[in-house]
Amino acid sequence: MEEGRAERRRRTEAPSHTQGGTRRTGVMTDVHRRFLQLLMTHGVLEEWDVRRLQKHCYRVHDRTAAVEELEDFINNINSVLESLYIEIKKGATEDDGRPVYALVNLATTSVSKMASDFAENELDLFRKALELIIDSETGFASSTNILNLVDQLKGKKMRKKEAEQVLQKFVQNKWLIEKEGEFTLHSRAILEMEQYIRETYPDAVKICNICHSLLIQGQSCETCGIRMHLPCVAKYFQSNSEPRCPHCNDYWPHEIPEIFDPEKEREASTSKANRKSLRSRQH
Amino acid sequence: MLQKPESGALPTLRAEGEKDGGRDGETQALAASQEAASPLLQETPGEHLGARREEGPAEPALAPRGARTLADKASARRRAYRRLDRTVAELVQFLLVKDKKKSPITRSEMVKYVIGDLKDLSPEIIARAAEHLRYVFGFELKQLGRKQHTYILINKLKPLEEEEEEEDLGGDGPRLGLLIMILGLIYMKGNSARETQVWEMLRRLGVRPSKYHFLFGYPKRLIMEDFVQQRYLSYRQVPHSNPPECEFSWGPRSNLEISKMKVLGFVAKLHKKEPQHWPVQYREALADEADRARAKARAEASMRARARATETAGISPW
Repeated sequence: MEEGRAERRRRTEAPSHTQGGTRRTGVMTDVHRRFLQLLMTHGVLEEWDVRRLQKHCYRVHDRTAAVEELEDFINNINSVLESLYIEIKKGATEDDGRPVYALVNLATTSVSKMASDFAENELDLFRKALELIIDSETGFASSTNILNLVDQLKGKKMRKKEAEQVLQKFVQNKWLIEKEGEFTLHSRAILEMEQYIRETYPDAVKICNICHSLLIQGQSCETCGIRMHLPCVAKYFQSNSEPRCPHCNDYWPHEIPEIFDPEKEREASTSKANRKSLRSRQH
Repeated sequence: MLQKPESGALPTLRAEGEKDGGRDGETQALAASQEAASPLLQETPGEHLGARREEGPAEPALAPRGARTLADKASARRRAYRRLDRTVAELVQFLLVKDKKKSPITRSEMVKYVIGDLKDLSPEIIARAAEHLRYVFGFELKQLGRKQHTYILINKLKPLEEEEEEEDLGGDGPRLGLLIMILGLIYMKGNSARETQVWEMLRRLGVRPSKYHFLFGYPKRLIMEDFVQQRYLSYRQVPHSNPPECEFSWGPRSNLEISKMKVLGFVAKLHKKEPQHWPVQYREALADEADRARAKARAEASMRARARATETAGISPW
């Protein structure tokens, strides 16, 4: 199949982690296809939703098969997606470390996925908000500051009232999160645009000292200025009574958050059955 | 699926005389375009959905014959393949994104926004993108009408049963529900419904044209613009009507994505009756089912015949 040939060719030549090894490409069935379609529809999903989705896809297309372990399931699909320069990427929400998944481009550097849903001036509004968010100290940009830039937008003239509604559209479509009149990036935007952001704003961008990924919200050391995501802080300082900055060793002045525990989430809502299955999956 | 580009159409900047023997269609196409030099080997500052950073310097457009070593040629060919792969990948993404809006995509849009100056390889690029869409996502790239180069994506996965639908986690639900109500009205009224009738029905459901609805947004825009543009509905002026009136009928996408029988079933359920309660519509739906079954059988038979023919000729269909 010419598809396989193209893939093999690319694999042996690409200077990536697959070089030299034989990477078995997964096989797509309708289970995987429906999973992909639904993940695309939602843009971004939390892990528990993803597991539910996976089970739903098995139930619809292959009732008798055993539900594959999620990580393997996703790796399988990703090996097929590789030749399309997209992948199912796993990230975490910045405020409390919930695992999330989205289908992202590996090669793009634009806000192309948004381009189909928004007009030129709306996309420019997003870009302006994005810049304010990246430049801010807290990772949040106030509604007022964003709306004040409305006159500078490309495309059709937009009034502030309209801009307020566009910002709400961004929230509904999971590109922005709003908290008390301030806006920050949704985990979807971070997953999809990390590469674009790092390339477009290399000087302004903040990076987490622990995981080295893009950082929008987090804690910073008051002495040396390094930053860490809240969930990264939680993991790094867990059960450490005297947390110190990993870079300059000064006392870490902020409250250490709790590590996200999916079990605690489930206890809040559902049955024993769920808890049992989660406990059996230790990672 | 693979089509060799007509070699006459390819511009030749270099007379390399490079002809590897005994190739299959794909490498032939690539080698031919390599001889042409222009599309694949030059750096294009063109606008594409993905950024492009080609490794290594661009090939000079007019190199003296024989000055390129074998290594140069090999790496040039690798770059060409990579570029082709990436263009196919971008086209797949472009089609998925466009289809999310349900707006039909024209071939010229594909060339303008993605394919660029690989235009001469369009048939192969589109074919490969279609194959990816089918294999990876379960979508079929369908041409609307034989003459127009307009395409939509059809979901080839089996439609969900009712119990399964609820778990589908929502999405387009409410809008499509509204659409089915309208398709039902159109069907029951004899395959076309006056605009006034549509709004009358919706008014009874508490939906007004220009009043923002928490599920549908602005219904007038959804129905008159979105659904029409997405080819779910067709909208036209009733000929010889005075005062001029407009009417809706099923659009081509509706005919592809749903059937008269299904819509009749929906209407029947709504009224808590059996489809047979409306004998005229029921007969028409039966005839439609028979037509679809015949068309499907014809398509399958011709596919089998084609497969047999290419098998005996010793060529892989892909």
